[in-house]
Formats: sequence, C-alpha cells, structure tokens
Amino acid sequence: MKRWTTKREHQIYSSKLFQALCRSRRTSSSTSAKELHQTADRVLAITAKGTTRWSRAILAAPLTAGTNMKKHKKAKVTVHTRLRKPVVNREKRKLPVVERKLRALRRLVPGCRKLSCNNLLEETSDYIAALEMQVRAMTAITEFLSRGEAQVPTDRLGSIGNM
Amino acid sequence: MSSRRSRQSTAGVSRISDDQIIELVSKLQQLLPEIRDRRSDKVSASKVLQETCNYIRSLHREVDDLSERLSQLLATIDADSAEAAIIRSLIM
Repeated sequence: MKRWTTKREHQIYSSKLFQALCRSRRTSSSTSAKELHQTADRVLAITAKGTTRWSRAILAAPLTAGTNMKKHKKAKVTVHTRLRKPVVNREKRKLPVVERKLRALRRLVPGCRKLSCNNLLEETSDYIAALEMQVRAMTAITEFLSRGEAQVPTDRLGSIGNM
Repeated sequence: MSSRRSRQSTAGVSRISDDQIIELVSKLQQLLPEIRDRRSDKVSASKVLQETCNYIRSLHREVDDLSERLSQLLATIDADSAEAAIIRSLIM
C-alpha cells in the first residue's frame, strides 16, 4: 500500500493543513478543536482527490458548528444492552456476530453504510492508511509549534516527514 | 466452516458470502498492527472486525487529542508571522 505512506504526501498534507488552519484563524477569532478536526478531515479528503467513497462523503457532509452532532452517537453503543440481558438466546439475536461487526465497521468509515464487502475492504484499508498519515502529520505540526514559535532549530528540519 | 455460518444466520436476511468475509478478514488482518505482529492464523473473523473498529476509533481519538492540542497552540502563538517559515520547513 504505497498510498498515504510516502514522504511527499506527508509533506503536502501537513503544509496544506497548516495553511488551512492559519486561514481559518484569520477569519474567526478562535478555532475549536472540533473545527480543527473537521478541517483536518476535509484537507485529508481533498488530498484523496475524489478517488474514494470515504473522502467524497467527508467533503459532501455539511459543516457542523456546534456539538449537536455528537449527541446521538452515544445511543448506538450496543455493549450495555448485552450486559443487561443475562440470558443470550442465539435464535432471537437479529444478526450473527460477524454481520453486526461489519455493520459497525461500515458506520465508522464515512459514506460506506451500504457498501458491499469487497468495496468496504478497499475503503477501510485506504481510510486507515489515510488516518495514520493524518496522525503523523498533525503530530509533526504540533511538535513544530510547541518547540518554539518562530524559531525553528535547523538540525530538526530534516527529520520532519520521516515519521 | 460454512455450516457453522448457516446455522447462525436468520432466514430472509441476505447474507454476504463466506468467501467474501474470509477474504475481507484476512486482508484486514494485514492492516492491523497488533494482529499482524502476533502472526497468528487462528484469529476469528469477529475478532479481526472488532480490532479494525477499535483501531479506527483509536485513530479518531488520537486525531481528536491532536486537534485539541493544536487548537490551543495556535491560539497562544502567533503563527501568522512564522507561517511562511513553518510551511517552508514542513515541505523540506
């Protein structure tokens, strides 16, 4: 899986993300963590160039200003219902375990709720690789900024992007 | 193996074929750091799917934490003046 793992992609993403963050700081007084996460996801999706379903889904989703979106997610936790019922009747369970987990996976990858098994595999592997790059890039930016505002030690320049 | 699956499924529900599930699961195993390193062939399908979901959720959480830290950092420092320098450093 070459995609999302090259140094070049990492550099492109981290610099684009940083530019986007500076831009949004100029327009609004403060950037909440949620907006920042959203920006990071959108830049990530743009980097995918419309080739995957998850990236198109992220770009098509409306921008959420507040925390309303998060509330209904908590209701979908299935662990508690299983703990409440001491007797597990296999016949009465709606779906077998594997099917349920597939459904959970479909919900985690954006835009993939109705996807077939094979396509889901492709989307999942691409999505995971992209997320890993997102983590690497954001970590790099964070370390950069926390190391010291405008002063960037020259001996560390070469190590950025090698994560 | 297929007989075990057919006992679990309910009539009327369109099932994904066993082969598809097996393929999906074996490919997903390659992506997950823990399972890949453990090199175990005996990992069940539901375990792999569970680990995949857990891994994606943990990546989401990591990005959440990073977003939190970044938003605090950006608020405190004056990134604008250093923007050009930082971008130059990021792409080198």
